[in-house]
Amino acid sequence: MNLLDIRNLSIELDTPSGRVLAVDKVSLSIKEGEFRGLVGESGSGKSLLAQAIIGVLEDKWHVHADRFHWRGIDLLRLTIDERRALLCRDIAMIFQEPMSCLDPTTLIGEQLSEAIDTSQLSGYFWQRKKQRKEAVIKLLHKVGIKKHSLCINSYPHQLTEAICQRVMIAIALAGRPILLIADEPTAAMESTNQGQIFRLLANLNQLKNMSILLISHDLENLTHWTNTITVMYSGQFVESGSTEQIFNKPMHPYTRALVDSSTKANLQLPSKSRLMTLPGSIPLLQHLPIGCRLGPRCPRAQKTCVAAPKVSNFHGHKVSCHFPLIRGNRKKDSVKHKAVKGIN
Amino acid sequence: MLTFTLRRLSLFLFTMLVLTLISFSLSFLFPGDTVINHSGQINATATELAQLNEAYQMDKSIFTQYRAYLTHILNGDLGQSMASQSPISNEVIELLPATIELSLVALLIAMLIGIPLGFIAAINHNKASDNAILSLAMLGYSIPVFWLGLLAILFFSIGLGWLPSAGNISLLFEIEFVTGIQFIDILLSDSPYKWQAFSNASAHIVLPACVIALAPATIFIRLSRAAMIEVLAASYIRAARSKGLNFKQIIFRHAIRNALIKIIRHVGLQFANLVTLAMVTEVIFSWPGIGRWLIESISQRDYTAIQSGLLVLSCFIFIIHILTDFIYAALNPLARGNSHGS
Repeated sequence: MNLLDIRNLSIELDTPSGRVLAVDKVSLSIKEGEFRGLVGESGSGKSLLAQAIIGVLEDKWHVHADRFHWRGIDLLRLTIDERRALLCRDIAMIFQEPMSCLDPTTLIGEQLSEAIDTSQLSGYFWQRKKQRKEAVIKLLHKVGIKKHSLCINSYPHQLTEAICQRVMIAIALAGRPILLIADEPTAAMESTNQGQIFRLLANLNQLKNMSILLISHDLENLTHWTNTITVMYSGQFVESGSTEQIFNKPMHPYTRALVDSSTKANLQLPSKSRLMTLPGSIPLLQHLPIGCRLGPRCPRAQKTCVAAPKVSNFHGHKVSCHFPLIRGNRKKDSVKHKAVKGIN
Repeated sequence: MLTFTLRRLSLFLFTMLVLTLISFSLSFLFPGDTVINHSGQINATATELAQLNEAYQMDKSIFTQYRAYLTHILNGDLGQSMASQSPISNEVIELLPATIELSLVALLIAMLIGIPLGFIAAINHNKASDNAILSLAMLGYSIPVFWLGLLAILFFSIGLGWLPSAGNISLLFEIEFVTGIQFIDILLSDSPYKWQAFSNASAHIVLPACVIALAPATIFIRLSRAAMIEVLAASYIRAARSKGLNFKQIIFRHAIRNALIKIIRHVGLQFANLVTLAMVTEVIFSWPGIGRWLIESISQRDYTAIQSGLLVLSCFIFIIHILTDFIYAALNPLARGNSHGS
């Protein structure tokens, strides 16, 4: 059963020059126990989508969706408060920039203990304080912080970014969520810490059957951990499928370019040669192209691309493109050839 | 915390040095003989004048003169009032506590009204209540204090007869002078009419304190509203919401403390403004404080009293500044202590 099922979710931003469609009809579904990756360049609306799911966007953003189901409950029929109460209980989120997401004037221990729901504690009210403290220490151990007493009695500015991120993860785990949304959880970490965090997430996924939505810009790293991947570009849905499908047989020219630009897929390239990239840069929010937003940069773009493509489904591999790459190797090579010509 | 305290103390010392330098130079700038401006003895005989010149070392270099002046001040000798020929330090000790009392009560009222109203406005940002509070603040800030004082006397004292219009306590009560702060003196005294005196003194302070508090309260409304809006947009509030805390918990556990930190420094800055308002209000309400005394000295051209009064008042304001700095440090963990990894 689908845990989360979102169809055609759009997010609009009020700007002085009218509303801008920041996220354009993105669909996302997450099954129970799934480890899904959400990939896109920075500014492609990944974080917006995540924040819209748990409902913490500011008032200037307007969210619409055709369908928004959580474990079979139609969330669009609930009031905002009911929806938030339901989602905050079941979904937890790890934010980017952990330093700014922790209250600078409150001790870490306090911030952690207030995330623990009273229903998790069993004792009478005079035992609760002790139980809370024990739960906090357990959570800190779980995320790999050994000096728990020092950490509990510190303020966020006294800790390093990596430890703050671990505390954020501990806070997210405190609610025992069913779905964990991790928004670039390792952005500020060295690679050893990154590995630990990803292993922790993978463990939670395998042992606790926790579904995880991992948001990242790094497709190559993501493929180690995820079952399925959704790719976004400039606020539009690009492609989704299993990790193998996306990484080995991408159908969308953008995914193709993403895979080609990673070093791992191009081991046969001679050293110090240029990696494959698309020409141009991601469009500004004020100057979004009509239709398929990849259009101006796409090597396969044709006249029909000024209309937004419909999502086509090839055995669970969904792609949103008028001219998907599905005719085997010959076609792919020609595309590559074209792209290279485009650069020159 | 020790370095923090030492830093504040050294700042205090140097600022006081500059302030004494200014009051010292005032004696040269005011018309009349410098040594008479220093001491305030306008009717001095020739021998007394020679003694004064000796005491203030007027024949030596200007640096030695300044040192002699500083020694006088440190010994508590601020000279004599030219008008009444009594030692200024005695007058200051009698009058300053009344001003401290009035301005602190006014500050308390301004904070208790202004800050919560600002928070309410920020929480209802862009709604009717926000606009209403903001326009009230604008209106309150635009009313001149002397006019408001007269209007308050006209309305509450003369029209309705609810509150007394002058002085800080009814003449019927005899309260022994201990600290000079009326409320403390009343509580210390063993008069059988202690509580009547207390309620009488409270009735006297309400009107002037409210008049003084109006303008600072409107500033606090704006400051706290801006601070709260900023805090509510911060990402830690968003993170707290995703943690599943309800709105009340977020406001009381996270938002208020962070917003207060942003305001508390401005409270110290606003205090100078408030004391200025208090001086004008003291004249209107015949409050026996140093502000009224200073304004009277100015109109009587009592130069010695002017320079000593300025020195004492600015010293008082500066002490309040330092106190707010300490409160700021106590509330804000970022301002104290060193960071350590874990």
